[in-house]
Amino acid sequence: MNADFSNGEVMNKNAQVIIDIKNLRKNFGSLEVLKGIDLQINKGEKVAIIGPSGSGKSTCLRCINQMETSSFGEIYFENDLITDCDPYLHDGIIRLSKTFNRLMNSGLDENCAIEKIKKERLLKKGEGRAFKLAKKEFEKNNKIDVNVARRKIGMVFQHFNLFNNLTVLQNLTLAPVLLKIKTKEDAEEKAVELLKRIGLEDKANVYPSTLSGGQKQRVAIIRALAMEPDVMLFDEPTSALDPEMVGEVLELMKDLANEGMTMVVVTHEMGFAREVASRIVFMNEGIIAEENNPEEFFTNPKNERLKEFLSKVL
Amino acid sequence: MTEWEKFVKQFITLGGYKRVLDGLLATIEIAVFGLIIGIIIGTLIGIVKVMPKNNIFVKIIDKIFTVYVAFFRGTPMVVQLLLGHFIVLPLMKINVDAVIEAIVIFGMNSGAYVSEIMRGGINSVDKGQLEAGRAVGLGYWTAMFKIVIPQSIKNILPTLGNEFISLIKETSVVSFIAVTDLTRAFRQLGDATYSYLVPYLMLAAIYLVLVLLISWGVKAMERRFKKNER
Ligand SMILES: Nc1ncnc2c1ncn2[C@@H]1O[C@H](COP(=O)(O)OP(=O)(O)OP(=O)(O)O)[C@@H](O)[C@H]1O
Ligand SMILES: [Mg+2]
Repeated sequence: MNADFSNGEVMNKNAQVIIDIKNLRKNFGSLEVLKGIDLQINKGEKVAIIGPSGSGKSTCLRCINQMETSSFGEIYFENDLITDCDPYLHDGIIRLSKTFNRLMNSGLDENCAIEKIKKERLLKKGEGRAFKLAKKEFEKNNKIDVNVARRKIGMVFQHFNLFNNLTVLQNLTLAPVLLKIKTKEDAEEKAVELLKRIGLEDKANVYPSTLSGGQKQRVAIIRALAMEPDVMLFDEPTSALDPEMVGEVLELMKDLANEGMTMVVVTHEMGFAREVASRIVFMNEGIIAEENNPEEFFTNPKNERLKEFLSKVL
Repeated sequence: MTEWEKFVKQFITLGGYKRVLDGLLATIEIAVFGLIIGIIIGTLIGIVKVMPKNNIFVKIIDKIFTVYVAFFRGTPMVVQLLLGHFIVLPLMKINVDAVIEAIVIFGMNSGAYVSEIMRGGINSVDKGQLEAGRAVGLGYWTAMFKIVIPQSIKNILPTLGNEFISLIKETSVVSFIAVTDLTRAFRQLGDATYSYLVPYLMLAAIYLVLVLLISWGVKAMERRFKKNER
């Protein structure tokens, strides 16, 4: 792995970094979908993730708020760990493992042993008590409850996922009230304000099934906003919409971007990515194959797969 | 005296109606409270069944529930009543009113059936609903109870109505543990006059009316749910 986390004890305490993904891996059974993703997202950034179908975009996005539990690697949200501790990222912890001791006894020098363990992923269950305690200790000092982190990570789904048993207004107030972030009155006031913003205040008391796709998605976006999140994740927010409704949703997202919201958007809308994103990430077969600012990304792609991909979608 | 006159005499003049009313009340109590307990137990089991089995605690509870459901679905109601009344309760030195015993045993039995219904209901709700709830920071149980369960109840209402109907009918075996329900009350009326024709026809008619009333009630509830969400 690269030098950034060869020494795991050095923590990045940069307040600008909202999401820090370190060597994220995800397996579904024996299928390895994410093969080591490193991505830092700074406050105010708008990151667009693009890539072919099945490349792991959704999985990566869903790992950010741990809707999908990652298999290896660590994710920090506002400097707090939200995954388990990954010992491979902490030399100090590796040093406490039985495997490390065995390699040392067999005559390897310290750095070689650590490199070997990381490279061949030699850590197994039962690396001993000291190893386990060190992991626990690290989690105790850094890890927060993922439910708490999720309050500040808004998520918008391809299929909207509005709560079908609740009215539009209740959709917006449910979580803030249940989680005691707001009183019922404050939550409703905020909800009405948000509904006015998208011009749907007259829909407050109807059920989601009566809304059009575009209306549903806009309500889903303000449902996330009702929690006053620090970052918003979008997973192909317009790809389930009829073409004539795509515009209204993208407009709202552009407004958010202009207001300075930090956004991570998985999208097939190249126009939107080019116009709104501050950085574009190309994923291919479970890794980030290329990332760059929109200008460079579209005019001067370097990766072969990216060139091929762009020639198909542009 | 005709059969009818015998019955009327026994029923009204000799106060047989009081026994019938008490029996009717017992039948309804056992079925209604049994169903309520059944829904509570069934919901709990249903949720655990669909829960991700990612820790040992959930796995153990899940196994226990599997055995529970197998037992209550795999043995006859009467046997469960007999076991409860003559074995389990005496062993535990618990002495309660037989109607309460029946309510608890029917509730536990119904819980096993409702858990399967509930599991189907939960699975019928789009996975995205739970995800959206979790994504805004709600815990698993909160998201289940506020979002998923209300939607699954709507989907399983007709099936739950059927469960209530079979429960009502099944209560007719509670005389095995000396509860006077509707069936026992009418049998005693018949025994008193040695004439069974009218009492038993009457008994069947009352069950039929009860069942029709429930079906009608469930339909009305369904209509209300539908109107609410369209
Ligand atoms: N829950 C799951 N169980 C098993 N495999 C999964 C699961 N979710 C995703 N996968 C697999 O992981 C791979 C990556 O899926 P993912 O949804 O992340 O791709 P994607 O880049 O978002 O694709 P698309 O553009 O089609 O949405 C695919 O091969 C998919 O089949
Ligand atoms: Mg996807």
